[in-house]
Amino acid sequence: MQTGFTSQDFRNFLIVMVVMGVIFGWAYMTKRIQKDFSTMAWVLIPVAIAINIVIGQVVIWLKLPVYLDSIGTVLVGVLCGPWAGALAGALSNTVAGIIFDPGWWPWIPVAAAIGLTAGLCANVGFFKTWWKVAVTGFLIALAATVVGSPIAVLLGGISASGSSLITAFLLQTGKGILESVLTTNFIVEPIDKISTSLLAFAIIDGLSARYLARFPHGENAQLEQTKRTSELVIALITVVILVIVTIVFVVPLVNQ
Amino acid sequence: MNDRLSFYRNTNSQVHTLNPFTKLCITLTIIMLGIFGTWYWTASALVLLAVLPLILIARLLREYSIVAVKLILPTAGFMFVMQSIFLPGGTTEIFQFGPFSIELETVQRAFLIASRIFLMVSAFALLLLTTHPSELMTDLTRRGLPSQFSYVLISTLQIIPQMQSKAQTILSAQRSRGFDTESTFLKRAGSLLPLVGPLVFGSLVEVEERAIAIEARGFTSTHVKTSLHEIPDTNTDKIIRWVLVALVIITLALRIWLS
Repeated sequence: MQTGFTSQDFRNFLIVMVVMGVIFGWAYMTKRIQKDFSTMAWVLIPVAIAINIVIGQVVIWLKLPVYLDSIGTVLVGVLCGPWAGALAGALSNTVAGIIFDPGWWPWIPVAAAIGLTAGLCANVGFFKTWWKVAVTGFLIALAATVVGSPIAVLLGGISASGSSLITAFLLQTGKGILESVLTTNFIVEPIDKISTSLLAFAIIDGLSARYLARFPHGENAQLEQTKRTSELVIALITVVILVIVTIVFVVPLVNQ
Repeated sequence: MNDRLSFYRNTNSQVHTLNPFTKLCITLTIIMLGIFGTWYWTASALVLLAVLPLILIARLLREYSIVAVKLILPTAGFMFVMQSIFLPGGTTEIFQFGPFSIELETVQRAFLIASRIFLMVSAFALLLLTTHPSELMTDLTRRGLPSQFSYVLISTLQIIPQMQSKAQTILSAQRSRGFDTESTFLKRAGSLLPLVGPLVFGSLVEVEERAIAIEARGFTSTHVKTSLHEIPDTNTDKIIRWVLVALVIITLALRIWLS
């Protein structure tokens, strides 16, 4: 009988922590972290967290089959940089744990990964046109899956959310826990995270350049002017191809 | 500050008068013991022998029961049932219905996970019921947490109620002009942007003014700031914290030694 996690998992956990510590130390030494946190960033973060939580509720009112609870996190990641985005995500789940239910706390690393990935993608210029934003959304979903699946497995694979029904179905067909959780996440996450990124893009599109320039990474949000419809078609095709490629190639790879 | 947002209830008990940092340590220790404990019943025993007595001392049994019944039991219960049915890997079959069979081993494993989650959420509920968020943040800031963190957490707790009422207003306003928020999926998805837009732009505009305001009040100053409200930290608190540290070390040592 498996009980929770083994000493093998514990060693993997330690390795991950050391790698993260090294990256963090490097970013701190090279002043990359400090650049993200201007006063504007510190003031944007609470607003972004409130956006996350309130839009999450609006989506529930409208009974839409997505979460959209990280729009604010993506906004901070794009406008203030990856480290501020990671912090906004982490604190967002912390606050949700304080006001709703502490069940949010195990998912703090996932929220941080979402903000970090959004910031990194924006830093290399992938938040300027529709199709690039869709790719960013896909990368965010990938990061969320990679970070979230071990946590889901640790909590037993099946949680109280609706998508767990897919996991439960896959488990019953005889697949392993990690495989089932990964497949579920690869189906659910891209849809959610790509719509999140596109909404965040629509919001940035509506803000004035003078306002955006006051943020540490405002230049990430200077949009390129192109034809909208063709962009959208490219975006959709890119996303569909990426999803198929991942489900066909990456999931079997993990199982070996 | 809006108290509706936090679980905090003040009954002036011995638990409430403990230093907030001590209460945080108690919660974290209970969770560490529950996860790393080598005995199968550790988590269940901790709920009965650590969380419940503290709740009784704090005279919060009624509030805790509400949290337990409304939040913890549904989550833990649902996970227990689903995992008992669906997790693979058991051999001793208890009973069978339709295509599903329930094995003894999966039920045991599901119970272990459910009890750990019950313990984790209970321990945090204990912390949140007995500690005001801003008091905890003030104390942590005094112990060296950057003051920006407490600013973010406390101002978020203030902004959320404002924004929720703003979202309600926008929803009613859009509905009054015939906006569709209840019919088909495509119409509901289409109504997302007109709801989210005004809400987000309105809140983002305030950011700039607030940045100037807190900048003028020495937000980025690195000098030590004094506080009007002193939070006591007694010797009892210090002794409790050292005992907790010892407990965690013993549990971790047992875990490594026995595995």
